[in-house]
Amino acid sequence: MAERNLEQLEKIREAVSQDLLSGRIELLLGWEKGHYWWQSRPLFASSEGDLARLTWDSFCAVNLSRYLLDELKDHQKVGVLVKGCDSRAFNRLLQDNMVQRDRVILYGLPCPGILDYNLLAAEAGSKLKGITEENGQVILKTEDGEIEVNRDEMLMVKCSECLYPDPVVYDQMLLEPLGQKEVPERFKAVNELEALSSEERFAYWEKELSRCLRCYACRQACPYCSCRECFVEQENPRWQGRAYQPSENFLFHLVRAYHGAGRCIDCGECQRACPVNIPLQELNRKLIKDINELYGDYEAGVDAEKEPPLLTYRPDDPAAFSEK
Amino acid sequence: MSTALNEKSAGYQPLIVAFCCNWCSYAGGDLAGTSRMSYPANVRVIRVPCCGRMNPMFVLRAFQRGADGVLVAGCHPGDCHYSTGNYHGRRRLSAFKRLVEFAGFEPDRFEVRWISSSEGDKFAEEMEQMTAKIKALGPNRKMRDARWQSVT
Repeated sequence: MAERNLEQLEKIREAVSQDLLSGRIELLLGWEKGHYWWQSRPLFASSEGDLARLTWDSFCAVNLSRYLLDELKDHQKVGVLVKGCDSRAFNRLLQDNMVQRDRVILYGLPCPGILDYNLLAAEAGSKLKGITEENGQVILKTEDGEIEVNRDEMLMVKCSECLYPDPVVYDQMLLEPLGQKEVPERFKAVNELEALSSEERFAYWEKELSRCLRCYACRQACPYCSCRECFVEQENPRWQGRAYQPSENFLFHLVRAYHGAGRCIDCGECQRACPVNIPLQELNRKLIKDINELYGDYEAGVDAEKEPPLLTYRPDDPAAFSEK
Repeated sequence: MSTALNEKSAGYQPLIVAFCCNWCSYAGGDLAGTSRMSYPANVRVIRVPCCGRMNPMFVLRAFQRGADGVLVAGCHPGDCHYSTGNYHGRRRLSAFKRLVEFAGFEPDRFEVRWISSSEGDKFAEEMEQMTAKIKALGPNRKMRDARWQSVT
């Protein structure tokens, strides 16, 4: 099976079960195995029995902080297992006043990155039955035998470009921190698109966005999309037309990305959740890049005390239009 | 758009939507009018309380429903009626302009200008310039609603 490390899992389970049984937390948000071995879905544990299903493996991609929006309505105190990106998502919700810090216990889990099943399956060639991991290698068990591949090459894009594998906010760190890691240039795709002409860029986006089903999975998975009523569901005015056409897809994606201007923590959940693989992170990163360029470096979600750039101003700010 | 503008003999006539701040640019437009300055009839002015009021969806909706160019005009930084509205607007609209360009719009399609209430001449001049630039670019088809084909 895909358990990364049973020892780690036991450590986690021990820590959280103590708190759950003593009543320090009413509910624990964690992960359990999903229908397939390469899926780990959210677990909502409120008893010892539930905790038996807890898992911590290389497929725990789902960002759990987002579920606090619902769970804090029914529970006084909730514990959450947070990876690096989940912890930044928590800061995002905290800054938006969507959660109360004293009602949440964060258990920090330094995350070595989530594996991308599509990459694993492509590497395996024939039918992939499972994986094991050791020393930075992933061993693929296929029908034709075993294949060993480098773990770093099998990571999801959002993880291979992750800047903060360690939680930035937590009450209790459960595992050894991994430290900052070196990452490739994360604005590479944005730079490449910027180098194209307007027409080419439009053609690119028209093609990518034409696949959009408007299932709004990107919004549901997103920690910055925490509005109780989203503009796409608003009836009056009805911003988002119901017609299925490129124009409406553009409206949705531009506005969705823009609502994250200066707020997006770049966790890549939108892109992971997208069933038709639209490169949504490129829109978000374009905004991150521009705002950093114009108004100074800002990493959303890293420090909940630091003011987001679009909530403030300086009288001598530069402008992106020709007139200052 | 009025039929006069769409007569074949007049050539291509763009439609430009100008969102003007109530306190400066809209008054600037008023001054242009009362001073009998002329500016192209292609420009449709929509009054907003402040350029900080601009919702990016206003701009996108204009493009969807027939605009070939969109201009946002507000008070000069430091002169905002609400003290800081245009400072915030400057940051937001800068980020938004870059995003719109990233999506494939030509940079000239969406512009932001500062026009004070005493700058009637500047108002007329900016509208002239914007119209000329959009005329050179030609009709906008990007993001146009399929059910909203303009007559051009």
